[in-house]
Amino acid sequence: MAERTAPALPRVFVASDGRDPVRLIDPRLGVLLRDLDLFALQAAAESGRRLLAVDLDSVEGLNADSAAVAFVIRRLGIEFVVTRRPALASRAVQLGALALLHVFAFDSTGLGRSLDAHPRAAGVGTVISPGPALAHISVELRARIPRPLAAYGLIGSPERALTLLRLADAVVVPAEQGAAMAARMPRR
Amino acid sequence: MASRPAAAREFMARMAASPCCAAITSDQVIEAAIASRVAILFVLRTDGLGLEALIDRIHGAGKLAAVHLDLVDGLRADRTAVRWLARAGVDAVISSRGQLMQAVQREGMVAIHRLLLVRHGLLESGFAAVSRSGADIVEVLPGAILPDVRALLPPLRVPLLAGGFIWTEEQARAVLAAGAAAVTTSAQHLWNMDLG
Repeated sequence: MAERTAPALPRVFVASDGRDPVRLIDPRLGVLLRDLDLFALQAAAESGRRLLAVDLDSVEGLNADSAAVAFVIRRLGIEFVVTRRPALASRAVQLGALALLHVFAFDSTGLGRSLDAHPRAAGVGTVISPGPALAHISVELRARIPRPLAAYGLIGSPERALTLLRLADAVVVPAEQGAAMAARMPRR
Repeated sequence: MASRPAAAREFMARMAASPCCAAITSDQVIEAAIASRVAILFVLRTDGLGLEALIDRIHGAGKLAAVHLDLVDGLRADRTAVRWLARAGVDAVISSRGQLMQAVQREGMVAIHRLLLVRHGLLESGFAAVSRSGADIVEVLPGAILPDVRALLPPLRVPLLAGGFIWTEEQARAVLAAGAAAVTTSAQHLWNMDLG
């Protein structure tokens, strides 16, 4: 049983390693915390910033297991959990987060096999890496990807990000594209 | 061992003359690849312990065989398996394991280091690894995004091969124009096209 209601996915996430304060990122954008250590993750989460996601498999000091999922959701209040492990994605949903199974799209055979392992449960979406691959996946295979769907990695420009948003529900862009993407977002 | 430079030269020359290579993802498509105009078959899925007949068949058709050590059944990606592939007559070995590239070359085969393009933060370490490995060729996946990301990639001193999500002639030509020396594809209709 879910402990809280999973939030809606923002259209744009900015990738952050926590070195620059996440509170400086436009509040309409999500922040994907990745390639940082446990202390930096905790500091970012305690900054009061909302719309935080974490790439669970890339946090130094954090084992990608059930205890880690509980820690980032219950203790740190992180709303979106990205993981390569289907069981952890399912666990994150049970704890009230929106989970995104991280799937690598290198070729159609490998992608098909990864999608076979997707939990396909409510609240478990998908992150596809690298992001530009999404435009090259066949319509049939794309239809098999559980939503919501985010494109992540090697998105070289805001223009490319906007193109990918026609196919995906969200994109993850590098920090240097954050301001340009915020400028393209509707004002609240 | 002395045959390696010659083997590499011949492999590159065949790749340059016929830059569309067949990606063999099941035994069912081998005959189609052999009958096509491709010069090199990249065997991704098959029984790695029973390769001799297949390699003989490929060579008998005047083509070269590259085998993906990390993907074929029955073989662990280590130095002994590299020797096994050499005994089977394989011309080139593909692997994501850079530490095996020199072992592949010592056995007289062409070493192809597979590099997975994931995100900006991993590019630097990935390219450092392929530079260190001393491979003869680097294969990037997914190849179809090469035109999108070429500017993000550092220059390489070895030929670039691109595979993954290449379905159309237009995509293949765009990837070649972005700097790939050749493409690998399982799209059979491309195997008979002249992309040179």
